[in-house]
Amino acid sequence: MTSLVAAAAPRRGTTGWLSARWSARRVLRGPVAWLAWGTLVALSVLVLVGPLFVTADPQAQDSVALLPAGTAGHLLGTDDLGRDVLARVLAGGRPFLVVCAAATAASALIGTSLGLLAGFRGGWVDAVVMRAMDVLLAFPLVLVAILMVAVLGGGTGNMIVAITISQAPTFARLARNLTVGEVSRDYVRASRCLGHGSWHIALREVLPNVSGQVLVQTTSTLAVTAGLSSALSYLGLGQDASAPDWGYMVRAGQELIFSNPGLSLIPALLITAFAVAANFAGDDLRDATDLGRL
Amino acid sequence: MVTARLPGTVADAHSTATAAPDPAPAPVWRPDDEPSGWRSWAGRVVHHPVVLRLAQVPVVAFVVTIIVFLVAHLLPGDPVTQLTANVNGITPEEVAQLTSQLGLDAGLADQLRSYLVGLLHGQMGISFYSGASVSSMLADALPATVELAVAAVLLAGLLGIVTGIVAARTQGTWVDHLIRGGATIGFSVPWFVVALVAILVFGVWLGWLPILGRLPTSLTYEPTTGFVLVDAVLQGRPDLIGPWLEHLALPALTLAVTSAGFITRVTRTAFLDAQAQQWVRTARMKGLTESAISVKHVLRNASVPILTIVGLMFGGLLGGAVVTEAVFSYPGVGSLLVEAVTRRDYFVLQGSALVIALMFTGVNALVDLSVLAVDPRLRRG
Repeated sequence: MTSLVAAAAPRRGTTGWLSARWSARRVLRGPVAWLAWGTLVALSVLVLVGPLFVTADPQAQDSVALLPAGTAGHLLGTDDLGRDVLARVLAGGRPFLVVCAAATAASALIGTSLGLLAGFRGGWVDAVVMRAMDVLLAFPLVLVAILMVAVLGGGTGNMIVAITISQAPTFARLARNLTVGEVSRDYVRASRCLGHGSWHIALREVLPNVSGQVLVQTTSTLAVTAGLSSALSYLGLGQDASAPDWGYMVRAGQELIFSNPGLSLIPALLITAFAVAANFAGDDLRDATDLGRL
Repeated sequence: MVTARLPGTVADAHSTATAAPDPAPAPVWRPDDEPSGWRSWAGRVVHHPVVLRLAQVPVVAFVVTIIVFLVAHLLPGDPVTQLTANVNGITPEEVAQLTSQLGLDAGLADQLRSYLVGLLHGQMGISFYSGASVSSMLADALPATVELAVAAVLLAGLLGIVTGIVAARTQGTWVDHLIRGGATIGFSVPWFVVALVAILVFGVWLGWLPILGRLPTSLTYEPTTGFVLVDAVLQGRPDLIGPWLEHLALPALTLAVTSAGFITRVTRTAFLDAQAQQWVRTARMKGLTESAISVKHVLRNASVPILTIVGLMFGGLLGGAVVTEAVFSYPGVGSLLVEAVTRRDYFVLQGSALVIALMFTGVNALVDLSVLAVDPRLRRG
């Protein structure tokens, strides 16, 4: 029974996340890929575990202002309010990473579900869902995010919602177009002949064949959300200024760029490292899945 | 009704004349099906891709306008409270009077109607902050943003296409790897980080270029059209051009660097694709030089995806311009928008968001039309 479906299934570079083809032998090829994935892991560990090892309070204004890096007790010096830069850099990465990861995951999940639904059901469902996505895509993504933050207000939760609204349509369009291509294939027909229901076909047959491209898109979106969320914070629209946050720290440090460029350059460098690593990791996934040469 | 998809229509004639004779049996064509006279002509015009694409523009623009209106109404806080925030001892009667003056006591549909009518008359409300009319603020800011976006897209296009072609011609070598890696880094770096580094390197360390604004305050400039280059010619003020270019350089470079990477990638792929086609082998057999093949045969055929991505980048640039303008205090629509959001300047926010969204709509339409102009195959009705 199932062998019939398996025989009709497409034999392409990948067949989904549960398949043995998604092995580490296919990803992580070459030093650039290692560096990219390594940077992502290292930054995550640094931000999640790092604050546990730093005793200084990132908010405490208890030291001499603008100490240079390398001062005893303040490895990266202090900022203009006498706060420990190392503690702030480590603590400021948390809201940044949370927004990036959550917004990317939510966009991928919501967008892919909508796209799968539209492509699978077709007809008016397709029309309604995709026209709604078209409306969002008729605006520059940055504008959507800024307007949403303006409506909802700042803060971690609202930023996640705002960025998700701006990124989900891309996933919906991708998943819908891929799904439309898949539903007419023989393996879907075979599965239907076997009496499988729509849910089974959509989630167990079509989704695994769509998931490779979606995963690649997810990795590149991680870079986009990194840029977008830090830009919102930089503009003073995202995270509130009371807690340390990389995007906001870049802006605050910019006023002292003549004398203490490190205050803004260190968080800027970390944001950049994360975004660049995410894009190289996405390239690595793309190569691993033979999904396209772009 | 009329579909004009019959063989032998004008649009088809071009392609069938050049194509090799097709041995497959032609679809049966009955003269009765051919609508005659103006109906055939009208059908071809109505279903022509250019007309279809142009017809979308007002529809999208209308939907975009309504969405911006609705979003502005969702904004927390109401305009009257903002307007009266600095007025001491205001009475509830005065608040009510102001509310009806602004038309805010009407229903949503009525407000939308008066908003649309106002737009047609070029009225977009006033800034709560400065008291200036939003349309005059936008008239000042829009040329600055257009200048920035056009300069950036020209730079990005040049940089992206040249590096893309070099990468394709040196495929597999270290030059190719270097360019592709650089492209990925280029489009990964957030706008404001590039801007910051540009400010630090060119503005602070080297001191070559100004880092803030659009023109030095020492220059007196009375805008005629608002476009500095045009005004410099109209007013006979060549002294404007130098400082203007200096101020434009860093914001435009920032946007170009972050956009060129995508263009490089697409150009490289499109060039490699076109290079692998049969007609390139034919051209080579005809004895054409490699450079003639590259320009006449490969680049022409690769230009559709390149043009598309350059156009899409232009749309993306508008978003990047919002952030970049804010970093450089460049007085464009993006700066207006960001300031309006932080100050909750209701009508300014609404107006600048609308202008950015409508520019985006217009650019997207232009991109599609220019792709049709380059590739006659897509023009078939």
